[in-house]
Order: sequence, then structure tokens, then C-alpha cells
Amino acid sequence: MSNESAVLNQNEYIPTDADFVLKKNNADIEVDSNFASQSFWKEVIARFIRKRSAVFGLVFVLIITFFAFVGPGMNAYTYSGQNLEQKNLAPRIPIIEYTGLFDGHENINTTSGTKTVNYYFEKKLPDTFYWFGSDNFGRDIWTRTWSGAQVSLIIAVAAAIIDMIIGMSYGLISGYFGGKVDMVMQRILEIANGIPRLVIVTLLLLVFKPGMITIIIALMLTEWVGMSRIARAEMLKLKEQEFVLASRTLGAGSMHIIFSEILPNIIGPIITQVMFSIPTAIFTEAFLSFVGLGIPVPRCSLGSLISEGFNSFTTHPYQIIPPIIVMALLMLSFNLVADGLREALDPKLKEM
Amino acid sequence: MKKKLLSIVLVSAMTLSLVACGSSAVSGVSQDQQGSDAQQTTADTAAETTGEGSGSDLNVMLETPVESLDPQQATDGTSFEVIADYTDGLMQMDADGQAVNALAESVDVADDGLTYTFHIRKDANWSNGEPVTAADFVFAWQRAVDPEVASEYSFMFSDIGQIVNAQDIIDGKKDKAELGVTAVDDKTLEVKLNCPVSYFLSLMYFPTFYPVNEAFFEKCSDNFATSPETTLSNGAFILDEYQPAATAIHLTKNDTYYDADTVKLPGLSYQVIQDSQQALMSYQNGDLDTTLVNGEQVDQVKDDPAFTAIGAGYLWYISPNMRDVKELQNLNIRLALTMALNREAITTDVLKDGSAPTYTGVPMDFAAGPDGSDFSADQKKFEDVCRYDADKAVEYWNKGLEELGATSITLTMIHDADDAPIKVAQVVKEQLETTLPGLTVELQQMPKKERVERMQEADFELGLTRWGPDYADPMTYLGMWITNNPNNYGFWSNAEYDKIISDCTTGEIAMDPEARWAALYDAEKIAMDDAVIFPLYTQCNAELISTNVSGIEFHPVALNRVYKRAVKN
Amino acid sequence: MRKYILKRVVTALFTLLAITLILFILMQLMPGSPFNDEKLNEAQRASLYAKYGLDQPIIIQFFKYVGNMFRGDLGVSYKISKNTPITQLIATRLPISIGVGFAAVLIGAVVGLLLGLLAAFKHDTVWDTLATIISVIGVSVPSYVFALALSYQFGFKLKWFPMLFSAKDVLGSSVLPSISLSMFTMASIARFTRSEMIEVLGSDYMLLAESKGLSGKKLVFSHALRNALIPIITVLAPLVVDLMTGSLVVEKIFSIPGVGSLLVNAIQSNDYNVVIALSFIYSAMYIGIMLVVDIMYGIIDPRIRVAKEGD
Repeated sequence: MSNESAVLNQNEYIPTDADFVLKKNNADIEVDSNFASQSFWKEVIARFIRKRSAVFGLVFVLIITFFAFVGPGMNAYTYSGQNLEQKNLAPRIPIIEYTGLFDGHENINTTSGTKTVNYYFEKKLPDTFYWFGSDNFGRDIWTRTWSGAQVSLIIAVAAAIIDMIIGMSYGLISGYFGGKVDMVMQRILEIANGIPRLVIVTLLLLVFKPGMITIIIALMLTEWVGMSRIARAEMLKLKEQEFVLASRTLGAGSMHIIFSEILPNIIGPIITQVMFSIPTAIFTEAFLSFVGLGIPVPRCSLGSLISEGFNSFTTHPYQIIPPIIVMALLMLSFNLVADGLREALDPKLKEM
Repeated sequence: MKKKLLSIVLVSAMTLSLVACGSSAVSGVSQDQQGSDAQQTTADTAAETTGEGSGSDLNVMLETPVESLDPQQATDGTSFEVIADYTDGLMQMDADGQAVNALAESVDVADDGLTYTFHIRKDANWSNGEPVTAADFVFAWQRAVDPEVASEYSFMFSDIGQIVNAQDIIDGKKDKAELGVTAVDDKTLEVKLNCPVSYFLSLMYFPTFYPVNEAFFEKCSDNFATSPETTLSNGAFILDEYQPAATAIHLTKNDTYYDADTVKLPGLSYQVIQDSQQALMSYQNGDLDTTLVNGEQVDQVKDDPAFTAIGAGYLWYISPNMRDVKELQNLNIRLALTMALNREAITTDVLKDGSAPTYTGVPMDFAAGPDGSDFSADQKKFEDVCRYDADKAVEYWNKGLEELGATSITLTMIHDADDAPIKVAQVVKEQLETTLPGLTVELQQMPKKERVERMQEADFELGLTRWGPDYADPMTYLGMWITNNPNNYGFWSNAEYDKIISDCTTGEIAMDPEARWAALYDAEKIAMDDAVIFPLYTQCNAELISTNVSGIEFHPVALNRVYKRAVKN
Repeated sequence: MRKYILKRVVTALFTLLAITLILFILMQLMPGSPFNDEKLNEAQRASLYAKYGLDQPIIIQFFKYVGNMFRGDLGVSYKISKNTPITQLIATRLPISIGVGFAAVLIGAVVGLLLGLLAAFKHDTVWDTLATIISVIGVSVPSYVFALALSYQFGFKLKWFPMLFSAKDVLGSSVLPSISLSMFTMASIARFTRSEMIEVLGSDYMLLAESKGLSGKKLVFSHALRNALIPIITVLAPLVVDLMTGSLVVEKIFSIPGVGSLLVNAIQSNDYNVVIALSFIYSAMYIGIMLVVDIMYGIIDPRIRVAKEGD
């Protein structure tokens, strides 16, 4: 009995320190992976910061974005508020006006000679200030420039993000499945790509109600192709790699592999492409405004402001200059950021 | 539907002429034309006869390319202008817009006004040496009504011109050979009408009525009027540089023209410029002698002696949709909207091109009454219901809101995606929103074609639109607002109004010009009292005409510019 | 190689056919019609529709159209130049557009390449900065702003070149539009060349070539440039297509009688046939360019040819 109980006792497991135990190290594993990814991104950031032009671009993107959302509220004017009594006033800024710059005077080149006028005095408006001047409806150009920048940014970023989602999914799926699926999807893409961008955008804008959403959709429809190409190319590179094979052996579904396993590995090129497609979208929107298919009045975008100012370019040049400068800076900054990002994410291109 | 309207009008005009002009059709024309004369603007009527035109071509800017040089296919002002440069009709416009003999040497009008006999000049020749014959007119006019040709302006022959059988031929019920026009001999053309048409002679300067040489046409076949080689001239100039939708067109003086002595310009050079900035710079550079000026640029040129405003004839107005929009069915709301509009500000501060604020349903300076005065000279006649008065507008507005039981209203206004409408729409939105508390106006811009379609289908709330006169009678406007007219965009219907209009066209007062005039006023009053439309302004174009150029004749209808008597020093 | 090209051409044709069908459907969806002028009545509109066969079901219209297209007939314009065969409209305009576009590509590619090379060789000097600034402006400002500025400065103020296109002085009057159009291409090429060249110049095989004692010129042109050219051609192809977009606007500003301004007018006046025909031509040009680029890859880099042939 005692023996039996001894045997029983022996069979009964008594934990010792030397035992293998589950380490319950989930937290540690996460820390580890976090650390790993952190170090990658840290390196990216470090490389990015090392590139002066990219930092410069980023700073400007941030400044313009800041003003685009805060600028319109910085004075009492609204983007659509008209004051026909105070139309076509030249820029006038408090304090700086005493230097003789931005004091509200302008030189008008008429066909019968140049004349210098200051409508602020002529119309007896001693306390009125339009920092960037006012347009032909007496609307504040400062407010309109920044709210135009806001519209352009929203359109461009929204279009870029949506086209990233669609283009990326399309490219990944097409690349992953390959074979017939890929063939069909690539032919569709070729057709979509074959119709000239401006034609498809214009037709869409005519078919649907004009407005911000339509412009975003139209821009997105033309941009996703490039995105999907990149995603597909990356997918073709990655899909034969071991970690994908491992995942598949473990029974992971296709969608899981595509979006949880492969996607995180190609996020770099994708983000770079997004950054490049933002300025393209801003540009395309500007072209649409120029052919009269832009954002409906009285809302404005940088493009529509430029095309509005176009007609008064020789009469009141100050009306076209602010949107052009903001647009140029924005384009430039996004390009610089995108360049910096591409180099930071792809160390092969580094140290130029 | 438009056809119906036109025929109604025609009958009215016919009766008018019967009373006014008796057997002399020519004086009837001048009577009828007087109204529009008031609006004719001449750059410099003093057609100076200072020697023979000195060497250089006149350089003219065009806003849009020519759509067609086929006289029976053309529909737009640019095409008409160029066609008329090198083709004469039986009649041509003089400086005041009156019809004067051109290819026709004389005209006999039968006492009943139903038969016109045109005697064509013996010295009228085509530029290939062939004489212009009556058969050329018969051929051209038969083309115009031929359903196979499907000319858009065929209604000029049927509804407006009332030429015998024109309507049946257009409808495919009769052969085109049955058209009421015959070549009696080489130089005599006889036209038969269904009923007397007082302004018939003034139609003869309309390019759709211009002759086409059949032999030449057959030779060119499908390529007719698509190149200098496939056009024939019988007018002041000869086309020598052109291709379809060209941006540059050149014409040279026609030395064999029967009236060549009058023509002072050695040539005429057109340049299509769609960008107004480029146009102004080209003018300043001396590349252009005349150009259109955009509103923004007026600041730059308003002190220039070359700057002029030229009447374009269009009435711009806002049409409320009264069929489907319950807020706009409310009269007080409509009155509030029309009174909240500061038309003065729109024309002087925004358009700046000389356009005139308008407070009547019929625009100014185009229709003169029996006593010779302009139908709409008095812009204050409807000031009870149509003026700028913010306080009164708010009063009506609040009353209207109360009746509707609403505190705020949102209305969408559709407008063309062109320069002027975009500007006007923005000011209108701002004016209405700031004056009327609780009103939001949303703007929707679209190409003109789409806007017209949506308005005709009542798929809109407010619509900014324009209408140009087809003939010099208030009926060209008032006739639009009868029940079920396709251009009655408001879908307004008023039995009394319809009755007056029909009385004025076929009823008893149609015979009595003065009574008819008074009745038309009554009709206009009914429409204005009911705020059927919110008139805005009568359009003018701001132009620069170089000071060394004189004698260009401007007209608001048919031929916008005539260069025959222009001189460039 | 021949088999590959043939295969590509056949696919391209089918793509074009599909594009035509899509354009037809889009046209059908387009609001308005070429004939809804206020002054036209229902009966007249119906007869115009019948005249041009627009009253038939879209699928019949499509097959008729494609059938005619194979016979070189693109139909007639309904509105912007009434009843003119579109082939005739295009015949005079396409060469002008292509001419201006080609000049723009040439200027853009050559100047861009030079700027890029300059920047790469004089890396981190004033030249580099200067080239960078020029290329930065090029990508940041829309071409119509260049068009305006150039026309104001060189056409209006200095009077060096005509401001408007003129058939009498095609060369002189194409200068300003070509330059305005080329700016974006030039800037993109310059930036790209710079980074590609810097990469190539730093590569091992360049070091090897240099250590073998190759001289400057030979080194640059037969080794560095050739390797940098492949990616440059890749970016050039889509840029050429972008050029077409830009041309729509630039043609309008300079009054150039080209296909770009025609397309804009046609879209605005619902001239279906012209829109379809021009879009088709643009598509065909685009697909054609892509085809040429693919073939050019093969010539420049035989490895791609092998890979593609196996495709």
C-alpha cells in the first residue's frame, strides 16, 4: 500500500526548478519585434533627417498644412465673403506698410500709361488691411489662398490614400495569384491605363455632379494604376520567399498572407509612391480648374485661384502670385519629402 | 413648340405690317427694323472716304473657331460673320442694321404681300467668273429645307419666313422641289409666302438665305466650304486661308465685287484667341486691331480712347422653377429674391463691360413701338415688384417663410461654366445670402448644353440663363412665358397672360399696333408682378478698337460685325 | 523578338477596341447632346439624331463605328466643325501637335539630361545647386503658368518670339509653347539623371573601368550613360504622355491649331465623334509609345528582352 502510494507518489509530478516551463514571454516577444521594427524605422528616420532637403520639404509641408487649416481663420474675412466696395485692393500689412512695401499701392499698366494708385486712401479705408490684397469680388486673397491650399491638400491626400488602398490591393492580389487572374487583371489595367487621363477625368466630371468628391474619385481613378504596378512588382519579388512559404504551410489564407504578411514588407515603396502621387494630384486638379472643371465656385483650390488670377495677370499681378507661390512650395516640398523618403527607405540609394 | 410660338409671332408681325406699310414692303421693313436700330452701334459711323485703303489688313480677334462655312449649316455668330464677309445675300445690312439691296437690284412686292420678285444684279458674279443666278438661290434654299441636309436653321424658312411648302418639306411630306421659290429667268427670283411677312426682306441678309452655286457645290461634293478651294465668293472679300476649325483665317479684297469701290480694306485677317490675356497683349503689341476685353482687364483699358462697349442683345435672367420647388411657388419668396438682387453692383463692379442693369422682362433698346419709342425704355415701370430694396426684400422674405412655415431655405442655382456666368452667379449667391436671413444658395456649374437640357426638363431650382432676340418685337421674349413653351423654364402658367399673348398674335388687337403695344405691356406686367423671371442685365461686350480703324459695323442680331465699309489708316 | 513584338501589337489592338467601347459608353452617359440648343425644337433634334444615326442602339452604333474605322473613316464632327470628316480635321492638326510635342520632348530630354549630368559631375557645387533649382521650379509650377510668363516676357515685353501660333512662322511661333511644355519633362529628367548618374558613378564597375584607365569621355558615354539611360527612358515614356495633357492647355493659350485644343472644345460641346476619335488617337499614341519603350529596353538591355520573351 505504502509502496503503491510511493509509486503513486512517484508518478505524481513534482515540479522542480530544473523543469522546462512555458516562459509566458509573449510580452517579451512583442517587445522584441517592436524593438526590431523600431530600429528599422529609427534608421529610416535617421537617414531621412540626415537629408537636409527632405527635412526642409517636410517643414514646409507642415507649415503650409498648418496655414491651410489655421490661416483662413486668422482674420475676419471668409473665403466667399464679398465686398464689392473693396475689390482689387493691393496687399497691405500692418506695420510693414511703413517700410513702403505692402502699403496698398499698386502700379497699374494701363494702355494709356502706368499709374500708381493706392485705393485704400482713395476709398478712405485707413483701418482696412488685406494682407495679400483682395480679388475682383473684394474677397480676401489671404483667406482664399489658404482655404484653396486646404482644398487642394484634402483632394490630393484623399485621392492619394484611396488610390493607395485600391491600387495596392489590386496589385497585390494580381501579383499573388498570378496566372489567369493576373492575366485578366493586367489586361483590365492596361485598358484603364490606355485611356488618356485627362479624357477620363473630364468625362467623369461631366457625367457626375461636380464637386470635391467627384474630383477625388476622378483623380483616384487615374492614379491607382501606377500604385498597383508597384505593389504587383513587389509582390512578385516577395511571394516566393521563405516567410510566405512558412505562413502558407501553417495554413494561412491567401488574404491573410497578402495583407498581414507581405503588405508590411512593402509599405516603404508604397508610402513613397503616395508621396509622389500627392503632387501629381495637385497638378491634375490645377489643370482641371484651368479647363473649367475644377472645384465649383465660390469654393476655391490653388488651381482655380491661379486660373482666376490668370485674367488679371497684367492688371493686378498680386492676385495670382500668392496661389502660385504656395502651390510651387507645396509641390516642391512634397517632391523633396518623397525623394527623401525613397532614399531613406531604400538604403541602396543612399550616400549620394 | 418654339415653332408654334414663332408662327404666332409671325402672324402678329404680318398683321402689323399690313396696317403699317400697305403696299410698300420696303418701308415696312424699315418700320419693323427701327427697334433694333436703336441698338446698332457703329464704331465710327462717319465712314471716312479718305482715299483708297492704305496697304494693311485688318486684324480681328475671334473668340471661337468657325463651326461651318456652309451657309445652310452654320448656326453661330462667328460662322455667320465670316460667311457674310465673302458672300452677299439678296439684301445686306447697312450701318444701322437696316436691310438694303445687295445682290438684288430691285424688289417687287405684290399688293397682297404674298409674292416677292427679286431682280438680281447683272454685275453680280461668283469669284470663278460665273454669274450669280436665281437658280443659285433656289438650290440653296431647297437645301436649307431638305430633311436630308437637316439644317438647324430651317425654321427661318418655315416659321419665320413662311415660304410656301417649307414646313411640309422639312417634315418630309413634300419634295423639296415644291418649295415656293422659283427662278423665273437667270436673274429673276420669285418667292411665294403663305401669308404676308412684314420683315421678310430683312431675313434676306441672314446667311441661311445666301445663294450656293449648284455646279460648284456638286464639284466639291462632301468637301464643300471646307477650304478656300471649295468656297466661292460673291462678296466684298475672297477667302484665301482657311481649314475646318481653323485658328487663323484670311480673306483678301474681291476686286471683281460689284461694289468693290466701297471696300477699303486690302484684306481681313482673323485670329482665334481663347485666352483673354493673350488677346489683350496681342492688341497692345499691334498684332490685333480689335479685340474683346475681359472684365478684369477693363481697369487697364478704361481710359483708352479705343475702348467701347458694344450691345450684344442678350437678356440675362434667373428663372425659378415654379413647378417642382414648393418654396419658389410662393410669390413672396420670389419677390424677395428679385428685390434682393443689386443689379447695379453686378454690372458696374463685376462685369464692367458696359452691360446695363435691367428690371423688365423685355430688354432695352431692341423693340420700338408704333410711336418709335423703345418698349423697355422706362426701366422703372415695374419698380413695385422689381427693384433693389433690401428692406422690402426681407419683409417679403419673412412673410414668405411664415406662409411656408420654414425658418431657412436652401436653393441650388445652376449656371454655365463660362467666365461671365461664373462671376455673376457668385455675386448673386452672395447678395441673396447676405440680404435674406436663412437662405443658402448653392451653385452648380456645368457646360451650357447640359444646363439647357436640365432647365428644359425642370431638373433645377434656380437657373441663370440668357436669351437673345430673334426679331425686333417684344414677343420674342414675352412669347416664351406662355403655358408649355419649352423655354418657359419656370413652368409658369397664367390663363390671362396666355389670352393676351394670343390676342396680340391672332386676335382683334393684333390689327391695332397701339392697342397691341398696350396689351403687350399688360402681359409683361402680369409676368413681372408674378416674378416669373428675375431679370438681371442686358449684355454688352467691352471691345478695344484701335483708333486708326473706323467703319466696322456692329449688330446684335444676324451679322455681328460687318467690315465692308471698314477703314484702317 | 519578332514574336514578342507581334504578341504585344495584337494585345494593344484589343486594348484599343475595349477602350473605344468604354468611350462609347461614357459618351452615352454624358449629359446634354450636341443638338440641344435652345432654338431647336423636338422635331428638328430628332431629325438631326436620325441623320447622324444617334437614334440607334449604342451597340449598333459601336459596331458601325468600328467597321468604318477599319476603313479609315472616323465619322464627321457634329458641332465644332459641322459635317467635316474627322480624318480631315485631324490630318492638319496632328502634325502640328506632334511637332510641338516632339520639340518639347527633345528640349526637355536634352536639356534635362545635360542639367542632370552637370549636377552629377559637379556634385555639391554651385552648379549642382543651380541645376537643382531649375529642375525644382520645373516640377513645381504648372505649364500654363510658364506659358503665361514666357509669353509676357519674351513675346510681349522683349518681342523675341511671336505670342501666338502662326502658320507663316511655324518654327518661331513654336518656341514659346515648346519651352513651356518641356519644363516638366526637363525638370523630371534632370532630377532623375542626376540621381541615376550619381549612383552609377559610385558603382563598382565604374571604379573598375576607371582603374582600367578609361578616359573621361568614353567612361561617361559608353559606360555610365548607357547604364543610367534605362531608368531614364522608363520615366520619359509616361512624361511624353503627360505632355499631351499639358498640350491641351498650352495649345489653348497659344492658339495652336492642334488636337489638344480640339479635344477640349469637343468635350465642351458634346461633339461625341470628335471626342471618341481624339481619345482613341491619344490612347493609340500612348499604347504605341509604351510598345516602343518596351522594345527599346530590349535594345538597350538584352537581359530584359530575354525575360520578356519568356513571358
